[in-house]
Amino acid sequence: MKNGFVIFLAAFAVLLTSWSAFVLGPQLQLGGAKQVPVLNSTEVYPRSRPGEANQGLQVYRANGCAACHTEQVQQDGVACDVVLSSAGKNPSAVSNLLATLNLRGLNQEEAHAASDKITAAGGKVETHIVAVGPDIARGWGLRRSVAEDFLYDNTVQLGSLRIGPDLAGVGARSPNANVVLQHLYAPKSVEKDSLMPPFRYLFEVRKIVGGEFSPDALNLPKEFAPADGYEVMPKPEAKELVAYLLSLHADVPLYDAPFTPIIAAKP
Amino acid sequence: MSDQMTPTSSGAEPTAARSLVPMWILVLTLILLFLGAVYFDRHSGWFDKQVYPPYASATMLESYQPKSGAAAAAAQGKRVYEQICGTCHGVDGLGKPGQAPPLAGSEWVIAKSHNRLAHIPLAGISGPVSVGGKDWNLSMAAMGAALSDADLASVLTYIRSSWGNKAGEVTADDIKTIRAGLVRPQPMSLDQLMAVPE
Repeated sequence: MKNGFVIFLAAFAVLLTSWSAFVLGPQLQLGGAKQVPVLNSTEVYPRSRPGEANQGLQVYRANGCAACHTEQVQQDGVACDVVLSSAGKNPSAVSNLLATLNLRGLNQEEAHAASDKITAAGGKVETHIVAVGPDIARGWGLRRSVAEDFLYDNTVQLGSLRIGPDLAGVGARSPNANVVLQHLYAPKSVEKDSLMPPFRYLFEVRKIVGGEFSPDALNLPKEFAPADGYEVMPKPEAKELVAYLLSLHADVPLYDAPFTPIIAAKP
Repeated sequence: MSDQMTPTSSGAEPTAARSLVPMWILVLTLILLFLGAVYFDRHSGWFDKQVYPPYASATMLESYQPKSGAAAAAAQGKRVYEQICGTCHGVDGLGKPGQAPPLAGSEWVIAKSHNRLAHIPLAGISGPVSVGGKDWNLSMAAMGAALSDADLASVLTYIRSSWGNKAGEVTADDIKTIRAGLVRPQPMSLDQLMAVPE
């Protein structure tokens, strides 16, 4: 073959380039990732998962949850909200001024200008940083997903198809473990229009012993409940999966994905 | 060109002639490379691991860090509390028997006016005092005297609004006024503290 060595070198260079871009580069960039402080807090993020939740990640993986659920919140932009914290000594002037101003979804210059105007009128304002985007509007999170969110995931379950909702912050919006268990056993009993298949094999339907429900038995609505005298008990896999889901808490402000957490107003 | 593409009778391999790359392709490539470099410079953050879209650079990211406001003050109060006050009063505000009285639910902490409360960390307190129906006889140095007005205000706001306590905010200006009123602060007795107006 003519120029065999040149062809070999060229092929090698092509492989080396792609390896550098897809393996070496990310390793240099994020290989040393570790826990980071939560903004304005003494907490660190993320906390390593307890063992049960770690097992749950394997259940999540084994059941192919990532086929229909993602764990990545997207963010299109960032905006500033100017929020009045104190009306000061001349509340009527400030409220008249507020009526003329747009205080939501501003960029930095507009936010500065608005807060300067209100401060000049005697009010006190705070500027809140807010993440903007369709995922945020759907209530799936308060900020975009960043590398730290996946620090303890092995393997990372990013997902690429959203037949169901994004789960990056599902632990923050789920009321409690029982509701999530019920959702796994009978999705339509929690979410009327849910497309999720029921994962009944993660549960055991068994005869009630001694005439009383076990403490862990699901409390199902009548149309989803098994026949009289039977109860639905979660298997260990179901409990692990729920522990994992409740450990998904990508909702804290970080340096690389900042936002102002809304703290309930104090009396 | 065409005569070279025709197979020759001798069966020799056809060869391509050398010709120059058209000049417009070179120019177009250079222009695209230049535009790409400009776009990269403006939007990439230069491979900084902390810069994600929508932030274009480390400077832009820095400018969007939430800096002030109630949330930041509350967090600062928690931080200072856990560093300084928490060692004796406990991070849960429940105090430690024989060491420090509880702050959670303490009538001194949740009093309507924060005036007397603010005197305790600024001047210190010693001797018998009743907290939550229990008598304590300890002494506390002026632990808050070295803190800035803003830090002390945030700590007091934090203890007045944590662990079920629901009392109003303390501002840095309040602390400034109270601190100015204390000329040479000495640890106060209960009587002295009760003499402070509410």
